[in-house]
Order: sequence, then structure tokens, then C-alpha cells
Amino acid sequence: MNATRTFLLELHCEEIPARFLKPLTEDFRTAFTTWSSAQGIAPAAVEAFYSPRKLAWRAADLPGAQPDQTETQVGPPQRMCVDEDGKPTIQGLKFAEKWGVDFQAVRFEQPAGKKEPCAVVTLTKRGRPTVELLAEALPALVAGLHVPKAMRWGKSDFEFVRPIRNILCLFGEQVVPITVDGVAATDTTWGHRLFHRQHPEPVRIASPGGYEAALEAAGIVVSLDARRARIAQQLEQLAAEAGGRVVADAELLDTLAEIVEFPRILRGDFPANFLELPKEVLVTSLREHQKSFCIENAMGELLPCFLTAANRPDDPEGFVKAGNEWVLKARLYDARFFFAEDRKHPLSDRLEKLKALTFQRELGSYHDKTGRVVALVKALATRLSGDDDHINRALEAARMAKCDLRTLMVGEFPELQGIMGGEYLRHEGAPAEVWMAVKEQYRPVGADDAIPSTPMGCLLSLCDKLDTVAGCFAVGLIPSGSKDPLALRRAGQGIVRILWEMGWELSPADMIGTALAVVGARATRPQAETAEALLAFFRDRVAYQLELAGFAGSVRRSALAAGWTNLADLKTRCENLSLFSEDSRFASLAQSAKRIGNILKDEVPGDQFQAALLVEAAELDLLGHLHRVEAQHDLIVTLNNLAELADPLEAFFSSVMVKCEDQALRAARLSLLHRLRQAFLRVADFSLWQ
Amino acid sequence: MHIQELILRLQRFWADRGCLIGQPYDLEKGAGTMNPLTFFGALGSKPWNVAYVEPSRRPADGRYGENPFRVYKHLQFQVILKPSPARVQELYIESLEAMGIDFSKHDLRFEEDNWESPTLGAWGVGWQVVLDGMEISQFTYFQQVGGLDCRPVSAELTYGIERICMFLGGYDNIFDLVHGEVKTDDGIFPVTYGQMRQREEFELSAYSFEHADIELHRTLFDAFEKEGWRLLKDHGHFLSAYEQALKMSHTFNVLDSRGAVSTTERPGVIKRVRDLASGCAKAFLEHEEGAALPVEAGKGGAK
Repeated sequence: MNATRTFLLELHCEEIPARFLKPLTEDFRTAFTTWSSAQGIAPAAVEAFYSPRKLAWRAADLPGAQPDQTETQVGPPQRMCVDEDGKPTIQGLKFAEKWGVDFQAVRFEQPAGKKEPCAVVTLTKRGRPTVELLAEALPALVAGLHVPKAMRWGKSDFEFVRPIRNILCLFGEQVVPITVDGVAATDTTWGHRLFHRQHPEPVRIASPGGYEAALEAAGIVVSLDARRARIAQQLEQLAAEAGGRVVADAELLDTLAEIVEFPRILRGDFPANFLELPKEVLVTSLREHQKSFCIENAMGELLPCFLTAANRPDDPEGFVKAGNEWVLKARLYDARFFFAEDRKHPLSDRLEKLKALTFQRELGSYHDKTGRVVALVKALATRLSGDDDHINRALEAARMAKCDLRTLMVGEFPELQGIMGGEYLRHEGAPAEVWMAVKEQYRPVGADDAIPSTPMGCLLSLCDKLDTVAGCFAVGLIPSGSKDPLALRRAGQGIVRILWEMGWELSPADMIGTALAVVGARATRPQAETAEALLAFFRDRVAYQLELAGFAGSVRRSALAAGWTNLADLKTRCENLSLFSEDSRFASLAQSAKRIGNILKDEVPGDQFQAALLVEAAELDLLGHLHRVEAQHDLIVTLNNLAELADPLEAFFSSVMVKCEDQALRAARLSLLHRLRQAFLRVADFSLWQ
Repeated sequence: MHIQELILRLQRFWADRGCLIGQPYDLEKGAGTMNPLTFFGALGSKPWNVAYVEPSRRPADGRYGENPFRVYKHLQFQVILKPSPARVQELYIESLEAMGIDFSKHDLRFEEDNWESPTLGAWGVGWQVVLDGMEISQFTYFQQVGGLDCRPVSAELTYGIERICMFLGGYDNIFDLVHGEVKTDDGIFPVTYGQMRQREEFELSAYSFEHADIELHRTLFDAFEKEGWRLLKDHGHFLSAYEQALKMSHTFNVLDSRGAVSTTERPGVIKRVRDLASGCAKAFLEHEEGAALPVEAGKGGAK
């Protein structure tokens, strides 16, 4: 009874959307593990499997039954249960009866806390067979799965991700008798659809261990990892045979592994003249419409062929390849139509049409937004460069930036926004600087993406994002907690990344002021309030940037607190502080800095003081160090000087009473400490160094 | 395979499996779902199986008859099975086999594609069915129609007739498809899709993109709406009111392809159509007992 067995549950459904497969299997795995532990029948491990029509779990080494449990019940004192002759009394018999045992099973012992021996019985609660527990619990565990977009089917009110058509449920070789929405569990399941066109009978699974092999024989590779590995291997091989390499796309690889039951990668070809389309268009069209990979040569140029997955092991008459090629040709025909149509008119013709495209209700159309971005580029470009031609080209890029939103191609592939604008400008013969800036205006798209490759692209990207962030804040659309539907944090991070990597000295306060002035009367809340919220927002973004750059917590905290609005300066301070992060003198300095902070908390010492009043050796020593630090402008030397302050400061605090009776001396000492703190804060707030 | 042969095979197949063979509804519409056989048939508790061809207009898809793959008007073959049977996917696959598709040589996938019609207040979950990489059908379990829950749930199968014909015949141009053959004493004359439809595509595309009178269509849209609500509110007539909603929907599509509907205006305009359609759905359910559709099992012939 108690020998462990392996449990297997498979829900065979109609095709489950790929995006739900993993969350659902994980959700059930967690629920099952929690439940089985609570029942005292935890398995050694729970494996999860999934394919488009299957969600399955296998739990190894599940005990055959719950362990027996013993419990002790204490009854009346011995003297009340047994008479003088040693015979049971009424009370004694009643106690035995209450717990369902013969009187012979009653023992007399003195339990802890009792003054005399009492009647005691030890009861054994038999563990229930696992198969019974499973049968009771599984329907509720299945019904309790969190399904993000549930559906109903047929006449039932039962809701699940897709209709459940078969349930395989085994404990060892025994079927666990469960029923979910009218479907009763058996020891059989279904293989690949096409397999069953020839074999009408379901596939019997003799035991949980033989699950994968039995399914593979019926045309299904039920392990995602196995499918993905096979796909990756075939992609590589077929690309090499075509004389190139796969244009990598990890997400697409996952998608293909999730949408087939038996993976087979096929290579198809398309007419070479479609290669006149921009590479991004081809890659996007192939990915979005046909879930296909492109192949590129060593130069990064595409080859006129593609790789896609079929859901079957072979292509006996080439129909699958021919079909995919046919569809792809239709798609590329459409893309070429868009590309040709879009170029019949210059991109600038769309500027007027942007008036009918809403950016955001209060902030107006994309035409309005374009106007604001142009104004920002104008305001910031003059600060960055004095060259009029350069500024004029930047303004041209800003004017053209959003025009591609009204092109057919971007209508079809929204993810190509920016890229198409750049491509169309390039075809029109716009200066490289301009089309590249437009093309890269959305970069960095995420933390993994690079900033635009040209300064003009960086400026355009920065101004576009700055307008979005400042505009949204100005009309009250401010991210909070996990809510950031407009991805303003990502935009803000992009701004900081650009400033950080370009080393531009643009103060956030100035940027915010300029952007809010441009938003002007569209704002729905007071400007000062918005500016304050934006400043806090940018400070958080800068703090995160320091984290992304890999600086230690002590470096980040102390450097940030000493000023963050000059990013180039902040970066240098952080880099130099990092060199000292292992220096033990800084730990001592941090203690002293905290102490200085406490002493000066309620004081307002002046900058000037009468050095002649200082008398103690330790304070005179400190004064000498202060002068050296104050005279130094090289950051590294300063940091060395500060490190050298650690011992004199300790000596000072151990031998000098700052708040002494003599008011003049006291003022001088306070000012000395104040000046020291000022010197620290040029670099970092060491009181935050831990 | 000729277009008419494909349609005949599908009709035979589904008639043999207990479907009524319906007819297209004689008003412009964007999809077979808008036919009252589906819109009202999917509502209520009574069983209902029906199949029919529906010419469907998408003004914005018009390409003047110049694009070999895309047209203003195409043919949908629509099947409604209510309640959705347990073997519905197998039935669908068998219908493909009835068209002559041999699955020992082809690849078939059901890829998630949830359907929604904002103008009908309808949505469902399901798939696009992909044969050798091409989408040939839409497969939907209706969850709501006209803003009302569907109980029981219907399965809707929609076949793109021209696409399937092109695909099966390896055609690279929709206008080269053969609709059927005219046989006379003088001989046999194949009639192509192009002969039947290319001029129509040209004129209707030109109409949708250039010639449609925007002001007239705005006026019509308002008038149809007013008429629809008058029929529904004053007379409780959901069928004639629903026709007005269909006219609104098509009028909106024409305005849209003329570029006369701004993005901000759009949701509001769509909502006006949806509100009337939803009103019709509600009135239909309230009057269901007296309605001609759908027929109750045993009483009128539907199985």
C-alpha cells in the first residue's frame, strides 16, 4: 500500500494559446505541490509538460497512502476508572467507548502536568490511500487554475482556457477516477491529429514513465525543451546549407516550439527581387505574418529564403513548403505595394495628416506633438552646438519624425515606426544625419537596446521622450506603483541613458522647465507641482541608471545625495568613489560624517571662523587637512585626502569637546566641522556610506 | 477546383451533418457573422445549425482589382453549430477532406486568434486555422453577441472561399480563379473570377476611396440610426431595426475608407452601431418565443 508510485495527469484540450501554456503548467505545479505537502504525500519532484493541445504533470515517488498518525487521548484518573478489584468502572468503560477501543487498550500513565496516573489511549489514524485523495482533490485543483482569458463551450457553464476533450490520469498503472466537466479520466490519450487520420483508436499509456515515448510514437514531442532543441538544431543546419546564418530571434524560437506538436523546420524561397525591400521590413513581415526566420550572409545581407516550422515530421510532396512560399509571396507582394505606394508622395506630405491622429486627448494630435518636439530640439540644440546648418538639419529631422505614422507600411507593421520614416527619407535623398536620426528616434527601446548611433539621433530621441514624459505629467498622467501604462519610466530611463552615455551637461531642472514651457497651456495642473514631480521622477531614473551601471550601493547612495543633476559629474564621482569602495578608512569616515551630521543638526554655523581660537592639537591637525582638501581640485587626490581625514577625525572626536562653554571657541569648532562637511559634499554624502 | 464546386461540396457536407443551408442576406455587410442567421441564431437557448455563403464587403481592402491577393468583396462560407459539439474540430477537418485536402501531405495548425466585432458587441475566442502556412478559416466559440452572453455557446466556422480555391489550385492571382463553366450548344466556356468581378472591384474601390459622397454618407449614417431606434423603440421590431444597424455599419466602413473618420471620432461612431445592434439583440431575446428564428428542435425541422 505504501510503496511510492508515479502520478501522471494530462489535460488534452483543443489548441491552447501559446502564451498561456507555461503559466498554466506552472500554476498547477505550484498548486499541486502545496496541496500534496499539506496532505503529507509530497512527491520527490513535479515535472511539467506542454504542447499546443496538452498540459501534463508527472510527480515522481508519491507515497501510496498518507502516513498513519498517532494521537494520545488522556482520560479520568486511574482511581475513577478501575475499582478496588481492578475491574473497570462505568466511567472507565465509557472512556474506552468514546475513543472506540476495548478497555484492554486503555493504559494508565501519569501524563505531564497531572498529579496522578490517568487513563490513556493511543489512537492510530490510518492514512488515506493517495488515489482517493487525488480523486477528491484534482477536479477542484484543475477548476481552480488561473485562466487569464477563460471561455465557455457547448452547453456547460464550466470555464477553462480551451475545451477539455480528454483526461489521462494515472497513479502508477491505476486510473484515478476523476471527472472534469463531464470528461472522465482514462488511461488513454490522443496523439498527433494527422497520426489519428490513420489510427482511429486512442493511445494507451501503460504507466507514467512511458508517457513521452508513447506520445512520440503517436507523433507528439511533449517536452517543450526537446522541441526547442530540435528546432534550434534544424535552423542552424538549414541556414548553413543555404550558405548563411539565422537572423537570431529568441522569442520567435520559443513561439515556434510552443505552436507545434512535432517540429520540423522547412526552408522556403522567395523571389530575389523582394530583397529591394528594407531588411527590417522583410524580417518583420516574415516574423509577424509567417512566424519565419530570415537568413543572412556574413555581411548581414538577407538571402532570398526563409525558415519556418511545420507541425508534422515530413513534407512528402513538398506541399507544405510550396504553401508557405505561396503565402509569403502574397505577404511580400503587399509589403512591396505599401513600400511603393508610400513613396509616391514625399514623407513630408503626411505632416498635415498628423492633425487627425491623436497623441493624447489633452496633449492633442501628433501634429501638435511634432511642433513641441521641434521647439525642444531648437531649445536644446543651441545649447549643444552652435552650428546653424547642424541645427537646421536637426529641426528637419524633428519635423519629419512622426510622418511615417500615416504611411501604409507603419499602418500594417506598427513596430516599424521610425524605421520606415528613416528609410523613406533615405530614398528621398535626405542627408544621412537626418534619416538616421528619424530611423533611430525610438532607441533605446529597452534596457538591452543601444542609444541612437548619432548625436542628432540622440537629441531627437531625447526631445521626443522628454515631451512625452513632461506632457503626460503636466496633464496628470503620472506613473504610480506598478501602474505605468504609457511606459513613461522607460522613456525617462531612455533620456537618462542618453545624457549619461553622451556625457551631455543638461540639467534636469532646465530640461523640465523648457519642456513644460513648451507644453504651455495644455497643462491641467500647476506648473510648479509638475516640475517638482518630474524632478523626483528623474532622480529615481538617475538612481536606477547608477544601479544599471553596476555601482555598489554605498557609492550610489552617497554620490547621489551629494547632487545628481549634473550627470557627467555624478558619473565621474561614482567611478572614482568605486576605486575606494574597499578602503576601510571610508567606513571610519562614514561614522565621523554621521557624527558631524548629528552635531550640526540644530546649528547654523558660519562659513568663516577665527582659526586662531583653535587650541587643541587634534583640531589644529584637522584644520591643516581641511585647508589641503579645500585647495584641491583633482577628484582622485581629493578622495585620497578625504581618506586621510579618517584618523584625524577620530582623534578629534576623542579629544575635543565641540560644544564647549566658551561660545567663541564653540562657534569656531562648529564652523570647522561645517566646512569639512561642505568639503565632503563636493564628492559624496559619506554619512550614507555603509 | 472551381469556386462553385467548392461551395457545393461545403453545402453538401454540412447539410449531411444536420445544418440548414441558408442564403446570403441581401444587405451590404463586412462578414457572414452579420447575417441574422448568425447574429440572432447564436442568441438564446435553442439549438441551431446553419451554413451559408456570404459575400462580404471590406471597402478599405479594395485594390481597384489590381492586387492579385486582396479584394473589396470576397466570399465567406459560414457555419454555425449551436451548441458547439464535442467533435467540432474533427468535423471541421473532415470538411476540409471533403474539399479534397489529403492530410497525409499537408500541415495544419490552429493558432490563437480571438475574434471581436466592436460594431456587433460580439466576441469569441478561437483560432485562425493555418494550412501549409496559410490562414484558411476562422474558428470561433462565441462568448457574447450584442453584448449578451451566449448560452449555450455556438461554434462559428468561417472559410475564405477564394483563398482556399487559390491555394488548392496554386493560383497566383485571384482573378484567374475559375468560378465555373457555362455549357451551351456552342461549347463549354469557363468563366473566371476576373470576368465576373474585376470591373466591379475597380468601380467599388474607386467609390470607396474617391467617389463616395462624404456628406451624404454622414447624413445617411445619422438617418439609419434614427430610423433603427424608432423601429426598435416605437414598435419593438428588432429585425427591421437590425437592418438599419447593418446599413450604419457599411456606411461607417465607406466613410472610414474615404478617410473621413478621425481616430478620436472612431470609437464613438462604432459605439453608435453597437448600441443599436445590442438593442436589437436584447429585444430579440425578449421576443424569442414569438420569433421565426431559430426553430425549436422537433417543431420546425432544425435538428
